[in-house]
This record gives sequence, structure tokens and C-alpha cells, in this order.
Amino acid sequence: MLNSALEDSRLKRRLRAEGRGRRLEVELQTEASMEQALADVHKARHEEFKTFVAHNVEPFAEQWDREQKFPEPVVSKLAQSGYLGCSLPTEYGGQGWDTVTFGLLNEAFGRGSSALTGVLTVQAMVSMVLLKWGTAEQKRKWLPPLARGEMIAAFALTEPGAGSDLQSVATEFSRNSNGFILNGTKKWISCAQFAGVFLVFGKTEQRPVACLVSRDSPGLSVEPITDLMGFRAAGLSQLHFENVEVPAANLVGKPGFALSHVAPVGLHYGRISTACSALGLLRGCFEESIAYAAKRKIGDKTVGEMGMIRSLIARMGTDLEAGRLLCHSACRTEDDHLPEAFEKAFMAKYFTSRAVVRTASDAVQIRGASGCHGSSPTSRFYRDAKIMEIIEGTTQIHEDVLGKMFVDQAAGWASDAGRLIS
Amino acid sequence: MTAIDEKEIKDTVRSFILSSINLPELKDDENLFESGIVNSLFAVQLMTFIEKTFALEVGMDDLDIENFKSLNATAAFVLKKNGG
Repeated sequence: MLNSALEDSRLKRRLRAEGRGRRLEVELQTEASMEQALADVHKARHEEFKTFVAHNVEPFAEQWDREQKFPEPVVSKLAQSGYLGCSLPTEYGGQGWDTVTFGLLNEAFGRGSSALTGVLTVQAMVSMVLLKWGTAEQKRKWLPPLARGEMIAAFALTEPGAGSDLQSVATEFSRNSNGFILNGTKKWISCAQFAGVFLVFGKTEQRPVACLVSRDSPGLSVEPITDLMGFRAAGLSQLHFENVEVPAANLVGKPGFALSHVAPVGLHYGRISTACSALGLLRGCFEESIAYAAKRKIGDKTVGEMGMIRSLIARMGTDLEAGRLLCHSACRTEDDHLPEAFEKAFMAKYFTSRAVVRTASDAVQIRGASGCHGSSPTSRFYRDAKIMEIIEGTTQIHEDVLGKMFVDQAAGWASDAGRLIS
Repeated sequence: MTAIDEKEIKDTVRSFILSSINLPELKDDENLFESGIVNSLFAVQLMTFIEKTFALEVGMDDLDIENFKSLNATAAFVLKKNGG
């Protein structure tokens, strides 16, 4: 009996050891394949981006946040580095980088300044819409200056009465002999304070339309929005269009498809950008926290030696890795032009934007009173983090979309199984 | 994908839609937009699936509800784009 119990115990231990060995082997294989996927060129570019941010962004981000604006040379520097046209093909003056690289760029900038990353976000949103749905003439006219960063674009979709419910946009494009007469108001438009062109969504004869509108169009006025909680330097504005003439040549896509096909392409890139930006911010919270925990002493112990703090840091580090995998998956599927890229981007944005709110809160908690002061970056991180849950679709919209999608997919699998059985 | 016929196209697209949307069945002539089967997120997913599966690109000139309103319409569009 005793021998039998011992044998049983040894057998269980051996099986457990073998199980651990197999798990380790699987983990190593997974890690190796992920490392392989993140090619050397991606790593080198990520390092380049992080170096750029460390020198040109991080040291100034607090000042921009306080002053609620960037100095003009900062955006010029982004342009000179090719970052504003990174996803556009070289034939239009872009870098032709893949989406993984675009994600890494946004992650690196997210670590430095969420507000400045917003410029990368909206430039990509408008550029990629034009690349997909623009006419040959529109591409020739607009993409080169956007790629070179000579012109900044803004994505004018949200209205005072239409945020999450896009179908209720009230901005009106009335037809005239030359094109359209535009009337309406847009609100919470990122980069509008310094954008040279706006992609404006509205309706004509009850059909959704999207048109490019130059900043210098008579009848357009830009009203800056200040005193935001976060993203304070992102140049948000309210736009007022009063009998603005828009040439027919500025129509992007066809009437009726602006909300079903045109906007979703931009919003998709916006989601990828925001997910990766939130990931960079999450990394910032993590790095600041572990550095502080390692050096700050309470009595004869560092903060990092305390179990409660380790719990917070454990969650941060794990969220960081999970977010990295989700963002990478979204970018990879986009590069492979797979339909699941859209749901992957939804998941990445949903996860990272929620995780960064938790993480930023914990980063402030770890620093205590000093974390609540403007002299600590965690104060800005905390304010910026919350905005991540609002922009490019709220958390609740993401839950609605993803929840429905998962239930529908499960029903599809059940139907498939039923069809196979019958 | 080479020498694909109309039925194969419809079955391939039908299978994709039924794996993504909670529907018991999908008829060849059922209107995908009027029935509410296709929302704005799924419209671009479906477009991407069609582009990827049938090696074509949907461009501005193709933005016509007649090209995508049903499985019959989609099959005709794919065949037309691929020179069928």
C-alpha cells in the first residue's frame, strides 16, 4: 500500500515535470516564432523610433501638455523623418512601411506623448482613406503633401449630436452646380488647430458622403477646444461650416458609402494607431513604476520589495505583454490583408485602452503624492490614459461590437457543426 | 484562385458570411444590406474577404450597391473583375 502510494506520488511528480517541460518547450517555440515574426528590420526601426522619442519628445512632453500646444518645429521634425507618411507607398512620397512598423512607431511615440501621437493617428486615417477610395487625381494632388508632412490632415466625423451613433450625422452637403454647399458643425476634431485639410463626413440627399475641405475655404472657422483632461496638446477644435463651397472633385468615394466603406477604413487605422499608442503609454507607466520601485526606500526596504507593490507591477508587466501580442496580431493581420484584421484591431484597442487606465492609476498609486504632481510624468499619463477609452470608439462601443461578433461566430460554428452532422 | 465558377464564388462568400453572422441560411438573392445582415464593420470585412479570396481590388469605381447587394450580385462582380 505504502509502496503503491509512493509509486503513485513519483509517477505524478514525473508527469508534472514532463508537463512543465512540454509547456516550457511550447513557450520557447512560441517565443521563437514571435521573435522571428518581429523581424530584425522591425526591431531596428523600433529602436530608431524610441531614440527619436527619447531625444525629441519625452523631454518636452510636459511642457507641451502645460501649454496645450506643440511648437511648429516638432511637427516639421516628424515630417522630415518621414513619419507622417510612413504607411503611404513610395510612389506618393511615403515610406511604404508595413503596418507592424506603423504600430511600432505609434508605440514608441505613445511612450513619449499621447497628444503628439495623435498627429500620426489622424494623418494615417485620412491618408489611408484617400489611398483606398481616392480618385487618381485626388491621390496625385493630396497624397504627396500628406506623405511629406507639408500638410496635416484631420478626420472630421464627430458632431455635437453624433459621436458613437455615426448614422445621426447632421452636417449637410447640398448639391449645387459646382459640387456642394457645406453647412454644419464638427466637434472634438484632433489636430484641427493646425490641419490644412479636413476629411468631412455628412449627408447629401440623405445619403452619407465624405469630402475633402481645405482649411482656407471661405465660411470655415476653427474654434480651438482647450482645458481638456488629457491629450491637451493635440489641437482639438470645433469646426463651423457656413455655406462652404466644396468642389465636386473633392468627393471621396461615392454618395451612400461614406459611413459603410469610407469612414471604416480610416477608423480602422485610427484603432490600430490608438491601440499601439496606448501600449506605449502603458510601457511608460510600467518603466516609470519599476524604476521608482527599485530606488525609492521606505525604512530599510525599497518600494519594490513590498508585496503589495509587486502585485501592481506584476499586473502592469503582464498587461504590457498581452497588449503587445494583441497589437502585433492586429498589425500582422492587416499586413496580410485578412478580414479578421478589423476584429483584431477592435480587440487590441479595447484591451490596451482599458489596461492603460488601470496601469496609469497604479503608476500614480506606486509613487504616492509625488505621482499626483505635475513634476511627475505619471500625472500626465493618468490623464492621457482615460482619453484612450473614449477616442476611436468608446469602450462600450467596442464591447457591443465584440460581444455581438463573438456570439454570432459561436452561432456560426454551431450551425456548421449542425450542417456537418446532418 | 483560377477558373472559379459562379456557384463556387457564392458558396465561398456564403460560408464566410454564415461563419460571421448569426443566420440560419442565406439565399442567393437575399439583399444583404436591406435585411441588415451587413453593418458598417462587416461591410469592410466582407470587402476585404472578397479582395483577398478572389485576388482583386475593390476601388472607388466599384462602390455600387448593385455589386454587393446579394450573393448573386457579388458573384457577378467577382467574375466581371476577374475578366469572366
